Amino acid sequence: MSVIAPDFKFSKFIQSLISDVVWFVLIFSLIGFPIIMMVLFFIPMPVIDGELLTPFLAFTYLADPTRTLPIVQSFMMTDMFKIMAFPGFGFAALLAAGTIFVERKMLAKLQLRVGPFYCGKFEGILQLMGDGLKLISKEIIIPAKADKPIFWAAPVLFVASAAAFVALIPVAPGWVVADVDMGLLAVFAVIGFFPIVTILSAWSANSKFPFIGGIRALFQMVSFEIPLILSLLGVVMVTGTLNLSEIAASQSSFPWILFLPVGAIVFFITMLAELERIPFDLPEAESEIVAGWLTELSGMMYGLVQLGTYLKLYAFAALFVVLFLGGWNGPQIVPQFPMEIVTNGLELGPVTAKIGGLEPLLTELITPEMINGVLMFVLKTVGVIFFILLPRGVFPRIRVDMLLNLGWHKLIGLAFVNIFIALALVYAGVLGPGGLQ
Amino acid sequence: MADAAFLALTVITIGSAIAALEMRSLIYGSIALMGTLGGIAGFFFLLDAPFVALFQLAVYVGSIAVLILFTVMLVKRELIFKMIEDRRRKFAGIGLMLIIMVSLGAVFLDSGIKTITTDELAVDFRDIGKNFVTYYWPALILMGLVLAGSVTGALVLARREDVEDDQRTN
Repeated sequence: MSVIAPDFKFSKFIQSLISDVVWFVLIFSLIGFPIIMMVLFFIPMPVIDGELLTPFLAFTYLADPTRTLPIVQSFMMTDMFKIMAFPGFGFAALLAAGTIFVERKMLAKLQLRVGPFYCGKFEGILQLMGDGLKLISKEIIIPAKADKPIFWAAPVLFVASAAAFVALIPVAPGWVVADVDMGLLAVFAVIGFFPIVTILSAWSANSKFPFIGGIRALFQMVSFEIPLILSLLGVVMVTGTLNLSEIAASQSSFPWILFLPVGAIVFFITMLAELERIPFDLPEAESEIVAGWLTELSGMMYGLVQLGTYLKLYAFAALFVVLFLGGWNGPQIVPQFPMEIVTNGLELGPVTAKIGGLEPLLTELITPEMINGVLMFVLKTVGVIFFILLPRGVFPRIRVDMLLNLGWHKLIGLAFVNIFIALALVYAGVLGPGGLQ
Repeated sequence: MADAAFLALTVITIGSAIAALEMRSLIYGSIALMGTLGGIAGFFFLLDAPFVALFQLAVYVGSIAVLILFTVMLVKRELIFKMIEDRRRKFAGIGLMLIIMVSLGAVFLDSGIKTITTDELAVDFRDIGKNFVTYYWPALILMGLVLAGSVTGALVLARREDVEDDQRTN
């Protein structure tokens, strides 16, 4: 058995890390710190609370929670934090990574296999990290006659479209990257970009299998976009708004799936088709056309497309939750914080541990309602993702003519039935003004 | 800020429109066409009409441009088109475009469009819907009939009686 690093020793690794840190501290304190001081000498420093902000004072601020926690709080309210970390990319990528692992492990259990097992000692939990490192370190091979600019741009565009989709999803009240008034229309506009990127990537590879897969993907995505849009119109009719946050907030008493089950079912099926998941995985049919439109992608380009695919999966599941399952609404199971500990400090016998500056953070930003909302949202989203993954272990792939027949004949008809149900509910006064809401 | 965005959008729209006409590669030409349509969506955003802008993105960039791209990919260019290089035609086309632009601009400048207020709120899409079903209902019905007619016509045109698929079992 070949080993990548035969002389690897964990103690040596730690030793090298420590020596790096020591060298960094030494060089920084001998060269970097004096340079910073010299630069600061020429920069006029601000006066805060009647005190000149010297570097020493700045370091004191860093160690003082009453000074740093407001900075953290204001950082958490910036758009940058929202885009990068919490309701945006980081959160979605974390859920997407969890989805990949759960998918592999769950499929293995469904099919009486073991699945990822060795990487990370316990049930293969580090398999994802290993796969990521493998993809990063692999060589990117571009076919000789490929159209290089489009071929390079396509994976990035795919991830960008998926991230734009993620940005529209409200996770908790007020926690959304882009609170667009026309949120649902923006979702439709973003969904329209995926077939373009797919077909361009497939065409630019200049190879048979990607082209066949790309054309299948185009057929599938474009024809299933129509029932997808039609199935969501019922929700817009009963809520009277296109803003996703308002749609989620309107379901505080009951989720719309109780009234519009037909629309929810149609949307779920079209979602499976848009995501190219089994039983609609014709664009990537690995037993017929190698890997479909992904065949010529290698290394991190393939990794980016996979990341985009799973971000898209999370975004679609989250959209289902927001539109039909009530978003962040749910029973309040997160208890209130014991505020006397925050205000008076935690008394441990003679010692009192008190962190100043924590109170505004906990009462304004991270309230129990917000944590509960996020918890409810994540629980529902994970449930929907589970139901998206489940058919992969159960169903075979369907033929392309059956797929198009299903999309054009059955799903569009059912979507219209859903629209008429919504209209009947509104005009009968069950929902809307004067009704239950 | 709005001026800079307007200038950038103008450059994108007109530049990619010229590129869409002049590119040798049909695929790149249709990508440039997408840029033009997206730029027009940007103009709608600038004009505080996000409803129209998003529909422009969803319908024109998301569907029409994809159809053009799809058609272009399935067509072998050399077999159908014959390249006609004629400089006189090109200059005549540019001159015609300039004349049309100047006359349209004169009409716009003459129409009193300079006096409209620019800092009004965006029109609510619910008001658009209300106006459609009350004041403009004949136009709505006419549009519905035209769309239904074109869909029926497309179905009739796409229907093929001569193809018999023996393998189909359902």
